[in-house]
Amino acid sequence: MRVPGLGHLFRWRYARPVLQTPLLALSVVMILHGLFGPTLAPKNLATTLSWLHFRGLLVLVLLCAGNFFCLACPFMLARQAARRFFTPRLTWPQRLRNKWLSVGLFVLILFTYELFDLWSSPWWTAWLIVAYFLSVLVVDGLFKHASFCKFVCPIGQFNFVASTLSPFEVKVREQDVCTRCHTKDCIRGRREPISDLVTIRGCELALFLPSKVGNMDCTFCLDCVHACPHDNIGILSRLPASELIVDPIRSGIGYFSRRKDLAALAMVFTFGALLNAFGMVSPVYAVERWLGRRLHVNNEFPVLGLIFTFFLVVEPFLLLGLAAWLTRAWARSPRALLPLAVRYTYGLVPLGFGMWLAHYCFHFLTGLYTLIPVTQNAIASLGRPFLGEPRWALTGLPANVVQVIEIGFLVLGFAGSLVVTYGLAEDDSPDKPLRAFLPWAAVCLVLWCASLWLMFQPMEMRAMLMSG
Amino acid sequence: MNHEISPEPVRVGPATIAFRLSDAAGNPITGAQVGIEADMSHAGMSPKFGGAKEREPGRYQAHLEFQMAGDWVILLHITLPDGKKLERQIDVRGVRPN
Repeated sequence: MRVPGLGHLFRWRYARPVLQTPLLALSVVMILHGLFGPTLAPKNLATTLSWLHFRGLLVLVLLCAGNFFCLACPFMLARQAARRFFTPRLTWPQRLRNKWLSVGLFVLILFTYELFDLWSSPWWTAWLIVAYFLSVLVVDGLFKHASFCKFVCPIGQFNFVASTLSPFEVKVREQDVCTRCHTKDCIRGRREPISDLVTIRGCELALFLPSKVGNMDCTFCLDCVHACPHDNIGILSRLPASELIVDPIRSGIGYFSRRKDLAALAMVFTFGALLNAFGMVSPVYAVERWLGRRLHVNNEFPVLGLIFTFFLVVEPFLLLGLAAWLTRAWARSPRALLPLAVRYTYGLVPLGFGMWLAHYCFHFLTGLYTLIPVTQNAIASLGRPFLGEPRWALTGLPANVVQVIEIGFLVLGFAGSLVVTYGLAEDDSPDKPLRAFLPWAAVCLVLWCASLWLMFQPMEMRAMLMSG
Repeated sequence: MNHEISPEPVRVGPATIAFRLSDAAGNPITGAQVGIEADMSHAGMSPKFGGAKEREPGRYQAHLEFQMAGDWVILLHITLPDGKKLERQIDVRGVRPN
């Protein structure tokens, strides 16, 4: 916030809408092009921007900075506009005040991505964006605060988990200032003295800044920054992943170690990264055909369902269960099996993020320049080719160069997971940290080897998995 | 229009596509100009362009290279002798890795 220019922008009350407006305009263009533009995915802005550029930039910004995509979220701009006309009256149901729903939606998105081959369909991609806008409007039109962001949005949950590895965090500068503060505007919002009307919102995600730890559930909306009357909140640097090692009580979240839903989210984030990459390489088709023959089905749904069940339920259950059992046996950890597995699952997040980075950056970097001819083509189709004829020869960086970058991300993720799990082992079993660490290091090694194997498989993206 | 691609099954690497153009009465269409465009079914790949040559009356052949395994779409941009333009699409599913 003290960086010249940037700091001034982020302190400005209207920074968020200014950042959201271009993305909202882009979303509209993507919807229109997806519905009415070319049906071929490589020539359509909806598919090119969604599945190449958005995902690639998202993970890179999360790695290098923080959750700035939630800050510039176009869905929230639409919500804000709608809330001028509709005031939500309901409170999000108590039994849904956790991550289970969003974990289910996250899995559903991964599943439908494979089942309907969203990457190859501009039409479905456009409808996915439309569905997202409608969901935001319905949920936040009915329920108060940022219910959609905190309890529903699958992209947001992805960002929350990944941003635990980001180098920046929204936090207070000096705790003493907060201790002396009596108004607590960062959570209550700044109010008019007489009418008590909120003029600047406090945190809608129930994160009380003085006891906020890390980036989990923080959308970087900057409401707290603007509401704080002491200018005591900023976007500050920190050690990435450090929040995964410690286990204090966190405002709006509680203890990580007691949140099975959060651990499930971290688990889907990690194992889903491998599964999502598995869906684009050749061996998946051999597995699908084999399963199809065994089950005597030609329908993709049950086959894909089995693959998802294996990778997101059976495999984590076996790996994490065995590691937790060994930790208990070797290190004499006082925790029971499930709390132990919950605690250490957060240690796998860096590995998962390394895989998402490697996967998404592969598509982003190898197709980096394709946005240029696709945009030229879109404009030319309107009858005014002022950007010139499409230069279809433009693609991106060579695959062999990108592969080196991919391996770098995987190594970074593996190293990060080893550091975090060792930190957890030191905290959990101070007498025998190495014994507690070794089973989890073995899990990390298994997952890392699987990631490396996946990266060296020939890429093969089919729209009809069961064909051939 | 009917077509065939060789080798079969189609694998990553060079391939040949041959097709016949005929009118509504089944007579071969000769002298057409045919441009070939090969796209993958997912974003991030640039299309490959080429041309087809008429090997015998109404029978055209083109060489192309499948650079990656997966689903491909081949677009034929056809200009008939009378100047009329047509576009035909051939889906090539499941090009296999080498």
